[in-house]
Amino acid sequence: QSAGGEAVNENKFLNTDSSTGSVETTIKPLPFKDPNFIHSGIGGAAAGKKNRTWKNLKQILASERALPWQLNDPSYFNIDAPPSFKPAKKYSDISGLPANYTDPQSKLRFSTIEEFAYIRMLPSDVVTGYLALRKATSIVA
Amino acid sequence: QGCVDHPIVLTEAVCNPLYSRQMMSELLFECYQVPKVSYGVDSLYSFYHNKRQSWPCSGLVISSGYQCTHILPVLEGRLDAKNCKRINLGGCQAAVYLQRLLQLKYPGHFAAITLSRMEEILHEHSYIAEDYIEELQKWRSPEYYENNMHKMQLPFSNKLLGSTLTSEEKQERRQQQLRRLQELNARRREEKLQLDQERLDRLLYVQELLEDGQMDQFHKALVELNMDSAEELQSYINKLSLSVEQTKQKILQAEVNIEVDVVDSKPETPDLDPLGSEQSLEDVESINEFEPLFAEEQPEVEKPVAAVQPVFNLAEYHQLFLGTERIRAPEIVFQPSLIGEDQAGIAETMQYVLERYPKEQQALLVQNVFLTGGNMMYPGLKARVQKELLEMRPFQSSFQVHLASSPVLDSWYGARDWAVEYMTREEGWITRKDYEEKGGEYLKEHCASNVYVPIRLPKQAPRATEVLAPSKSLTS
Repeated sequence: QSAGGEAVNENKFLNTDSSTGSVETTIKPLPFKDPNFIHSGIGGAAAGKKNRTWKNLKQILASERALPWQLNDPSYFNIDAPPSFKPAKKYSDISGLPANYTDPQSKLRFSTIEEFAYIRMLPSDVVTGYLALRKATSIVA
Repeated sequence: QGCVDHPIVLTEAVCNPLYSRQMMSELLFECYQVPKVSYGVDSLYSFYHNKRQSWPCSGLVISSGYQCTHILPVLEGRLDAKNCKRINLGGCQAAVYLQRLLQLKYPGHFAAITLSRMEEILHEHSYIAEDYIEELQKWRSPEYYENNMHKMQLPFSNKLLGSTLTSEEKQERRQQQLRRLQELNARRREEKLQLDQERLDRLLYVQELLEDGQMDQFHKALVELNMDSAEELQSYINKLSLSVEQTKQKILQAEVNIEVDVVDSKPETPDLDPLGSEQSLEDVESINEFEPLFAEEQPEVEKPVAAVQPVFNLAEYHQLFLGTERIRAPEIVFQPSLIGEDQAGIAETMQYVLERYPKEQQALLVQNVFLTGGNMMYPGLKARVQKELLEMRPFQSSFQVHLASSPVLDSWYGARDWAVEYMTREEGWITRKDYEEKGGEYLKEHCASNVYVPIRLPKQAPRATEVLAPSKSLTS
């Protein structure tokens, strides 16, 4: 869910539209649709009716990058915001208050003594949950 | 009929990939037979709807939706696309952040903290602090906390933290498990007994061969059995008959114990002493599992069955207390480091975009900062943006911030206004003929559209395996 860089494309609803399949004539033909339409995304004879080669956003962006852009042209990946230049402020993982201290054992940030006591009593899955929320989980186990 | 016979105005993402537009055009023109189509950016339509002076005007449009936030400078009515920036945070990420925060704070209500409830909290109980650090300091004091903390009442559910069963149910379960284990062991013993018996018979038969004097057959049988001499055979026979005896004994004992169990209501420790070495590890482990259960069972059985629970406020247990979460969740668009994103927040990105222009244009853009989009509806957001602008603009320069009149619906109103005005005109519409000549990714620019970059995409041909090979290499 929280994957960055995947803005919903309003055009994406075409997935569900074409999958109603104007190829089947057993269903009642919808009045606003051309009954003879076959979408180009539908795979070749080998793929069969079910396999429509839709691309997800990563594939679309990858193929877009391969096109001949000029240097200043705007494109979907060009307009990503730059990373921040200012150092991030530290907030407590529990209460959100500005945190001056970090627990060396669990690497959680806290701002008061009560929070520290609370952190030391937490089960490990809650601790990893808080760290994952901040994307601070260590790669090395 | 088989067609849609009116023109369509459609919104698309800022700098929509050409492939997506091609797919969309194909669908509209070939499947639905639409006469003409116009694509535009939703926040620009909203800008168009909310215009104050005469069109064309310039301004900095900040639109924050469910998935992402865009900062779009508009110069003379046209989008300056190469200076747009997009932050990949929106209402969805705020809701997920709030959900995880509350789930970690209240692990017992993991399932009850759903995304839709989070969105309700965001819409109704959250606000954006004008000065984040100062606001947090206010929350430190207990009186402020008591006054401003919101309590959300969750629906009542029977599940309590950890123990999902009452103590009687637990006892039931234990008894069932014991019975099952006993049956398993009994079955195992019987099988073992059978096998041992058979083997014993075979060995005795071989011994008889020896006694009868049929040496050849005897030796052959010995080799089959992997033994060397008659003494070894004898010792094997002795051992086996011993173990057969023991197994028979134990079966008798276990049967006696099962009867005793059925009579008594309390689960007694059955006679599960360690069986022969052939016993599989499984049984041993399950026996060990029961040791701690039994250890705690003994003192419990002495106490009266009527359990005395500690005083427990059920209503309070099902309440979520929202304190600083009210301001933390919407803050992620201003400080993405809260959830570990390394993109810059709205304020810094605004500064970045403005600095790409000369000073006069900066002043021009800043006179008309326009906020739109559903994620902009938090109370206190306009004040926050004004404060950020004050911090980043030169001393005593002026700026103006406007909020859309109805941030959620204004894009639609803007698109309607545009359609009504341009209905009979040619500009801005992509007709069927344009689609056929110039391909699906063609875009006609207008005051609220993306910038068109003329790159042709190879058209995907259906049901032609040779042509599909290059397109397949893209998808693979």
